[in-house]
Amino acid sequence: MKNEKKVKKPKVKLGKLEKREARAGWLFVLPWVIGVVAFMLYPLCQSFYYMWFNIRITPLGTKYIPVGTGNFTQIWLENPEFPQQIVTYLWQTVVEVPVIVVFALMIAIMLNGKIKCRGFFRLIFFLPVIIVSGPVMNMLVSEGAATIPAMNIQSVKSALDSFLPHSMAESIGELFSNMIMILWYSGVQILIFLSALQKIDPALYEAAKIDGGSQWECFWKITLPTIKPMILLNAIYSVIFLSSNEQNSLITMIKAAMFSGTKEKGYGYASAMAWMYAVIVTLIVLLFFLLLGSKRDIYDRQVKRHKREMKKEARTVKKIERRGIRNAKKIQKARQKRNYRTYDGSGDY
Amino acid sequence: MKRKILSLLLAGAMVFGLAACGGDSTGSAGNSGNEGDGGNKGQAGANGVTTDDITLTFWHYEDPTTIDYLAEKFMETYPNIKVEHRVIEDMSTDLSNAAAAGNFPDVFEGTDSDTALANMYWADISEYYDADPENKNLMPTIEEYGIGCFDTSARYAMPMVYWPSAIFIDRNVIKTLNLEMPRTDWTWAEMIQLIKDATKDERTGMKYYGLGYYNRLDSLYGIAACSPEERALKGEFGYDGTDFDLSYWAVGEQEFSDLKLAGYVAPQQETAEMEAWSGNWDTWFGATGRVAVFSEGFWTYQNLWGQEGYQEQYGLDIVPYVTPNVIDEKEHNVISTMYMGGVSTSCKYPYEAYLLLKFMGWGIDGWKARLEIYQDTSITNESGMPLKNAQMPMPITLDQEIWEGYKSLFPQDDRKPYWDDFFASVTRPVPYGWYNIAGYWNFCDQYFNKIGIHDLVDAGSAKAADYVDEATRQANYHHAEAMISYFGPGGYDVLSEEELAQYQAVVDSFLQ
Repeated sequence: MKNEKKVKKPKVKLGKLEKREARAGWLFVLPWVIGVVAFMLYPLCQSFYYMWFNIRITPLGTKYIPVGTGNFTQIWLENPEFPQQIVTYLWQTVVEVPVIVVFALMIAIMLNGKIKCRGFFRLIFFLPVIIVSGPVMNMLVSEGAATIPAMNIQSVKSALDSFLPHSMAESIGELFSNMIMILWYSGVQILIFLSALQKIDPALYEAAKIDGGSQWECFWKITLPTIKPMILLNAIYSVIFLSSNEQNSLITMIKAAMFSGTKEKGYGYASAMAWMYAVIVTLIVLLFFLLLGSKRDIYDRQVKRHKREMKKEARTVKKIERRGIRNAKKIQKARQKRNYRTYDGSGDY
Repeated sequence: MKRKILSLLLAGAMVFGLAACGGDSTGSAGNSGNEGDGGNKGQAGANGVTTDDITLTFWHYEDPTTIDYLAEKFMETYPNIKVEHRVIEDMSTDLSNAAAAGNFPDVFEGTDSDTALANMYWADISEYYDADPENKNLMPTIEEYGIGCFDTSARYAMPMVYWPSAIFIDRNVIKTLNLEMPRTDWTWAEMIQLIKDATKDERTGMKYYGLGYYNRLDSLYGIAACSPEERALKGEFGYDGTDFDLSYWAVGEQEFSDLKLAGYVAPQQETAEMEAWSGNWDTWFGATGRVAVFSEGFWTYQNLWGQEGYQEQYGLDIVPYVTPNVIDEKEHNVISTMYMGGVSTSCKYPYEAYLLLKFMGWGIDGWKARLEIYQDTSITNESGMPLKNAQMPMPITLDQEIWEGYKSLFPQDDRKPYWDDFFASVTRPVPYGWYNIAGYWNFCDQYFNKIGIHDLVDAGSAKAADYVDEATRQANYHHAEAMISYFGPGGYDVLSEEELAQYQAVVDSFLQ
């Protein structure tokens, strides 16, 4: 059997219907493909090219002055604001993402329960996603709608400042100043969690309850393990959202640098900033991936262990079967050579 | 595993989408079809103006209704030229987008000259300007200080909108406090004394403040600081056409901060101090009737105090005073807001564009047209405001007829002598730094504003004098670096070897 060659699958010519279906499939994804190529890959390559130049866009055409790594050294060595903002952004993201995800999960669990006007409450929690965008969000922030009025932010900040490093205290302080805004960022995450919660088999809860499982135990042993992939998805979504929304001061800084008319800045400088920022965002995404995506949950582990045991058992059974066949053959040969005797009851072995 | 890879790829795509956003999505620029100076003039008539049917675009900061009327007048004079205009919302963004998209305006005015010079937006218009006899009768500092030439031998821009800084006094407050109105050719010391005398806190009712400010006094002092013999100040921060000396600014800065700290200056709008003083967060000090002296933009009079019934409503009696000089000198420089305008380097019809620029800015014909529409108060803008109350600038031509017409737009009652004296004393404007000094904005951006000197000195936590040496060094460096970059071989290339070496020496000494 070992020497047996792997049998190649015969090529099957697609039928008319299948061809039509394939074409329709491509047609459906075509807008996306065009969008990615035109609005992502092309500008991506372009910005990668730009970051090695000082670019001046004059009415007579664009001047590309090669600066090598000049844009990067200028950003890190001559623009103290960028490293400062990066540190603040890192702290903010690391602190805010868990808050958003946990809040979204709590709300989703509540909205998944049997409550009156459930549809209305679902709408209420998703509404900020539609309303709070771009200029509306800026206006709300400037009017102080992002803060909780009863909370003395200054006291919280000064208390944090007394025992934490300044940048860390600043970021956590910002969390309190923008508490309402951060909670408003949870709309999409709530929807994702809600759909995940609705897909959990109710039989699992039923079985758990029969076995005497409490709500608390059901949450930790059924709900959480089942929706764990969604936690990772939401964490990544939140990182990307926080990193690219208009409230992010780094985005504002990159935009300002891009349209800055001064000779130091411009498209090249902004592209270098954007790429460095993108690398940092990737690292944060990886961090969350390692934290939430690397370990398998207990249920998964048990299933895998059970499968392994089943395989092992099957192997043992096969081994015993093979041994039995071998022994049967040996006995057969011995019988043929007549030197195999079975006990005949004579008392002589 | 496949799913994992796919999810990672998607996450990666989302992340790197950020980098894509940081770059240009408009594609590379290149107005390949446009020509530079002295480009396609087509068939020229007897007056040197093309006879082709052309369209000129004008981007500006003025009231659009005013420009609509002016454009019509211009098109009446030159029927073959169509004028299209629009208001600039953000200079760098709008113009860099226009340059990238290849639809750059032919003529535009800007609030930040560094942006225009760094990207070579403005063409050299010396040829047209020098040949125009009308330009001999303009306010003298334009020629003397080379306003619009940026310390080169070429002219790139002209002041289009002129508003001198002004001090306003509320006569009602002076009368209530039993003080004397100062003479109209007052000195800096007299102004400071009046501010102090007019600050009264009687513990009953609202406190009287000596000063309410929009323009900080240090900006005004920077020009009023000394006699031309001591140092000819041609710009902010003690700029004399070659280098900076911030020691003059420091005196004004400290004096102003000391006044604030001592309680002579009225609170700003939307502050807790304003709420405590007036009982309303939104109150503007200029509408309280409790402030004697105002360091305001000139436009504040036209846009607010000058509106019919406004002063009566708030119990005000506002008259203008010239920003005083430190020495008792009748004719002196006045710091001013001056939006600079120019013809773009991509313009195909630079002479016609120059004519449009002049008409919209300083030309006598343009001003005649302006006076017609300003005098007719039935013409209103979109907000229903007569056009003379909507960002009306001041002429920079010294033409008598224009000035007579212009003065007639202001009060003709017992306040007239104040207005006449005021107009007579604002004929030597010096623009704020960002209009006329190369590298000024870079200096502010990279040093002055970044360390927040105003806030530190205002809070009393630092002295302005402590920053003089470093700020002077920084200002000189940024100016020299900008001069090399804008006007050296990588830019307009109009500096001589000697000039380049001088600027390079400043840069080198800073970097050592």
